[in-house]
Amino acid sequence: MKKNMLKHYLGVSGLAFIGMALLPQITHAADTDKPKTEQKPAAQGNGGGMPREKSFPKISSEKWTGARLADGQPDVSGFWSNTIGNHGNFTDPQGGIINDPNPNRIPKGARADRAPSRVSDPIDGQVPFQPWALEKVKEFQVKFHDPTTQNFVEPLARCAPGGVPKSLYWHGYEIKQYPNYVVFFFDSGTRIIHLDDKAHLPSKIKLWNGDSRGHWEGNTLVVDVSNHNGKALFGRSGEFISENGHIEEHYIFNKENTRYNYEAVFTDPTVYTKPFTVTIPARRWTVADKPDSWNFDVWFAKDSAGKTTVEHEERICTENNGGFGLGAV
Amino acid sequence: MNTLSITKSSKSALALSLLVAFSFSDIAIAADTKIPRLNGKPDFSGIWQTTSAADYDLEPHSNRKNTPPSAGIVEGGLIPYLPEAFAKKQKNFEARETLDPALKGYTLGVPRSVYYPEPFQIFQRKQDLTLVHQLGHSVRTIYTNGTPHPEDPNDWWLGDSRGHWEGDTLVVDVKHFNDKTWLDKAGNFHSDAFHVVEKWAFLDANTIEYKATIEDPKVYSHPWNIDVILYRHREKDFQLIEDYRFTLDYDEFYPPKQ
Repeated sequence: MKKNMLKHYLGVSGLAFIGMALLPQITHAADTDKPKTEQKPAAQGNGGGMPREKSFPKISSEKWTGARLADGQPDVSGFWSNTIGNHGNFTDPQGGIINDPNPNRIPKGARADRAPSRVSDPIDGQVPFQPWALEKVKEFQVKFHDPTTQNFVEPLARCAPGGVPKSLYWHGYEIKQYPNYVVFFFDSGTRIIHLDDKAHLPSKIKLWNGDSRGHWEGNTLVVDVSNHNGKALFGRSGEFISENGHIEEHYIFNKENTRYNYEAVFTDPTVYTKPFTVTIPARRWTVADKPDSWNFDVWFAKDSAGKTTVEHEERICTENNGGFGLGAV
Repeated sequence: MNTLSITKSSKSALALSLLVAFSFSDIAIAADTKIPRLNGKPDFSGIWQTTSAADYDLEPHSNRKNTPPSAGIVEGGLIPYLPEAFAKKQKNFEARETLDPALKGYTLGVPRSVYYPEPFQIFQRKQDLTLVHQLGHSVRTIYTNGTPHPEDPNDWWLGDSRGHWEGDTLVVDVKHFNDKTWLDKAGNFHSDAFHVVEKWAFLDANTIEYKATIEDPKVYSHPWNIDVILYRHREKDFQLIEDYRFTLDYDEFYPPKQ
């Protein structure tokens, strides 16, 4: 019998420490057994050796000229990931974890040498927090490295769903489409986007991934997200939205159907002084790519027609009695 | 029929045969049009749930505290446990209120995820069916593209599901399980040698008959069968509501409060 260990990214040692300190006991070492996968590169903490762009192209909203599904939706199904960095740092995606006690993990170059903030508006790249909220974020950024109380554990480390927007810059993910639905399958959490016109769930219901209603405008999937529980945080840098927040998302796909940019306006009168825009670049992964254990964590199979297909590990976390990857989250 | 030439002498015989022919063709049309189809196969897309008490206890049982009575869904009544396994099942039963993995919000496994009393949604394409279960938003992919089971993979909570169509029945072979899930609240269980063959078929457009043959040579003396009915949720605007119950223990710590 093989242990059901999914991931083996022993990333940032500080996180392993958190796992040891606050999560249920970690009983297994990482297990490299995986079906049909190629030799994997050793994970490098902040993203498992992912190719990281320092800049990325703007994609304009325009008409869709590419393939469509039978129901008329642009066909964007397949495997995707972000291109600049994981959730270690929301506003400086290649800047390492804020206040990291290990100097070897702090980038040496100038800020301009790294990818821009995910906050694309305002231009200072910072979330326009109200003073009380900024104080909470700063406190999180200090105590994250030695969490003395539970609120300083990044919830993804406990297998909580990544939520919006963090799920889009953690591991790679799959998009599947159906009449009236676009569904995102993340390694921690599933987001079902409803394309019919039904109303949002009653506001009393609060969810990790919120409640999503979408529609297509040309090459752009427009999604209105409400019913946030505000618990997911945006990463190890502790930014957050509250239960009163609202997110208007635009997933803008390029002509070649190889990339999209996520542009979303975050509004929350409880936490922010004004709305701000988040931009996250994403790329497609196909059978022409090599599985990389992070952004394209898959194996290949052959269907009955001899065509190569892509398959993904079962998405399990809390059941393993430890964080996803048993520490590297 | 229009091309046939009708003679007086054959009229009444023809009338009878037409009647018979139309009756048969009505049945054929009924089978073709009254269930939803996708690429010619039954289309199970939708949100489904059982009304049975299967999850309380697969076997026949009288009422208990917090458990309604039920005749169970095991063909023949009882699960054919090997003696040692039966002893373990009894231990599980006694400790069910603390040991049942579902209480932790864990992924339920197969077949329990099918008859657990929360809705699940089937998203269907030609090449696969993706089942999203409300509890934990667990995801199971049933491949219908002819891909084989992977050789010697990890053990999985939901196993590895490979399906094919036999007429209008979806037959799914599920294996490569771990030994951590239960089959119900009553402590019925399996080992990592667990193997399930499912049969999914419409009874009508809004009703699925779900049958499964279950074997596990480490736990049962011979294969056994279950049979349960699933109903389509037809409430207006009905949708899954994510139920990540395993987060409840720490929900209170987030987000930061003013």
